[in-house]
Amino acid sequence: MRSMVAADQASGLGALRDLRTARRRRYAEQVDWLETLYRLYLGVLVGGWGLALISGALADVRVDRHTVEEIHRHGPAVLGLVVALAVAGGLRSGARGGPLVIEAADVQHVLLAPVDRGAALRGLAFRRLRNAAFAGAVLGLIVGNFAFRRLPGPTALWLLLGGVFGAAVAECAVAAAMIASGRRMHRAAAAAVAALIVGWSVADLLGRHVSSPATMLGELALWPLHHAGDSFGLPAAGLLIAAIAVAVALSGLAGTSLEAAQRRAGLAAQLRFAVTTQDLRAVILLRRQLASETPRSRPWLRLAPAEQPRRVVWRRGWRSFLRWPLVRVARVGALGAIAGLALLGAWQGTTPLLIVAALALIVAAFDAVEPIGQEVDHPTRLSLLPVGAGDLIRRSLIAPVVLMAGVSLIALTAAIAAGAPGRLVGVLIVVALPTAVLSLCCAAVSVTNDPYAYALAPQIGYVQTGFPLVLMIIGVGAPVLAAREAARHGSSAVGVALGCELPLLLICAAVTSWLGHRAAKRFPVRS
Amino acid sequence: MLMASGLRREYDDLIALASLDVQIPPGELIALVGPNGAGKTTLLAIAAGLLDPSHGTIQICGDPAGSLPARAQTSYIPDTPVFYQDLSLGEHLEYVARLHGTSDWPDRASLLLEQLGLEQWRDKLPTQFSRGMRQKASIALGFIRPFSLLLADEPFDGLDPPSRGVLVEMLKTAAASGAAVIVSTHRTEIADISSRCIALRDGEMVYDGPPDRSVIAGAA
Repeated sequence: MRSMVAADQASGLGALRDLRTARRRRYAEQVDWLETLYRLYLGVLVGGWGLALISGALADVRVDRHTVEEIHRHGPAVLGLVVALAVAGGLRSGARGGPLVIEAADVQHVLLAPVDRGAALRGLAFRRLRNAAFAGAVLGLIVGNFAFRRLPGPTALWLLLGGVFGAAVAECAVAAAMIASGRRMHRAAAAAVAALIVGWSVADLLGRHVSSPATMLGELALWPLHHAGDSFGLPAAGLLIAAIAVAVALSGLAGTSLEAAQRRAGLAAQLRFAVTTQDLRAVILLRRQLASETPRSRPWLRLAPAEQPRRVVWRRGWRSFLRWPLVRVARVGALGAIAGLALLGAWQGTTPLLIVAALALIVAAFDAVEPIGQEVDHPTRLSLLPVGAGDLIRRSLIAPVVLMAGVSLIALTAAIAAGAPGRLVGVLIVVALPTAVLSLCCAAVSVTNDPYAYALAPQIGYVQTGFPLVLMIIGVGAPVLAAREAARHGSSAVGVALGCELPLLLICAAVTSWLGHRAAKRFPVRS
Repeated sequence: MLMASGLRREYDDLIALASLDVQIPPGELIALVGPNGAGKTTLLAIAAGLLDPSHGTIQICGDPAGSLPARAQTSYIPDTPVFYQDLSLGEHLEYVARLHGTSDWPDRASLLLEQLGLEQWRDKLPTQFSRGMRQKASIALGFIRPFSLLLADEPFDGLDPPSRGVLVEMLKTAAASGAAVIVSTHRTEIADISSRCIALRDGEMVYDGPPDRSVIAGAA
């Protein structure tokens, strides 16, 4: 019996190889290569041009000698913390069945067949690792491109090591997820290991030493700043440990849970469709399901019923926030901190960080507009209410504004904690509330977009999807940039920021009004 | 053939299966009945190796369910047919048969397609089939490979009366050839062909005995 099974296994793997080759060939036959090459050409052209514009035209200043020394001393540990957080994210994903997305038919027909599951999943795992490495390397190259303009060291080395570091971080995160998933790590165990890894990096940061593999990888990224006589041993050790993690991950693939694979297969198929139709709301909901991020069954605090009818919507918003799982609370708080640190970095000369700050705030706002999202998810119920949808949507923005003001406060605190100068603190205080309102307006526009409105005119759909992001980047970037320039020329930074915020608030008022008008048109009250 | 001991499955607070003990010898055709949410699909999915039990053990021919030798013995027809989008029915049959090391698959495939009235659909994509045709294609995939245990979850759903008759004959033949066959269903006519009936309710076994239409009707 055993030998028969072994023989079956060999022929089964042969069948698997043959079929995958045939499917790849069939796919290649159906691809329009001219169209693909044209898209690639456009992507490289637009991406390269955008990068050159951002990194070159904004005339970033080179950092002084003292700051270079500070970066050389503390930078590896800070980057190590980034690596540790990526690994922690990977462990979390793996404990929930990630990172592989296995086709539902493969779960049914291949993984239930008598073939080695590890061998059957290896190809998919390699593709996942390859894609992650590519994305990480591109991101690393982009960061390296900004780094060499502000820091000393050979340009080629910044670009090369930036790319290698980005790829290594991505590989570590995916490998951690595969290890947790293949070993069926319990969520609590994965959280404990993640806490240990992050804690080790924090200890390195506070103790100013290099002991964690994550900090060793951080050394690699900042190697262009090394002093003569520094050993490349630690960065090499970091890379070696990353490679070992990948090998361990690949060796444990057979243990992947089929239950999780089945669940993810269904969700991933829906997610791909939602991305294709640019249905951002569906993407958010499906991503939460993939991460098993469900509302708390018991709220953090139970609110009494609203006494006045006007307060019902306000109370409904807070009931939604009070059921946020801890991970969402932590994420939104972290996004606020990231935004604050990015704004500080932009103030100090790294202008592209304004984009990071804007994106962090709008992502946090996507969580904050959940009550509006819930209303839009149930259009029939919304249409049956005896109040206009426009009025309801506008009133639903009030509770999120308070929440996002809290996020802005976290951003301000993070910037102050990281040593923000007094003038920047003044600017951040001025922009905090308008930015909170703007981020909510942009997120609310995105979430209430009808993804099928421009199904026959995708170009308009792209504009519909891109408009809130562009508005957010301009709304966050323009006041800070203008204030920074004013400060450099000895003018009042706070005054300039204040001047920028007034038109921004007018834009927010216009967007809110339009949002209500559009909702009223889309969900008319039934008579 | 199948031996479950203290088998329990929980989904958070919900108990889908509560400590189930059951033995199924070769050659038996079992009607697994019960209302919606009774735990039938959960039991079959655990036996197939798709789900892990929360507690207890389940063995197929002496090997843990889901292990490689157990997978070689178990054929599972899911309640929702699953297909590749880019493979024809014929290619599905070839693939599944070869994954299980079946060498005489061309003859078996032709016979199955003829039995189920799918010959002219051989080169068509099952993802474009109607509900009933998809179900028949899924049944063909379940029978194309050798098995000692057949798990069929609601296999009659979507089938027209002649196709139901064909499926009944196929199930009887499989049991007669020595395979253990477990069919989850709400249809009372299963009583006429099954050798034993197991009824579940709220995850607990409430009946295990000779097939009885009243038990099946009551459980459904």
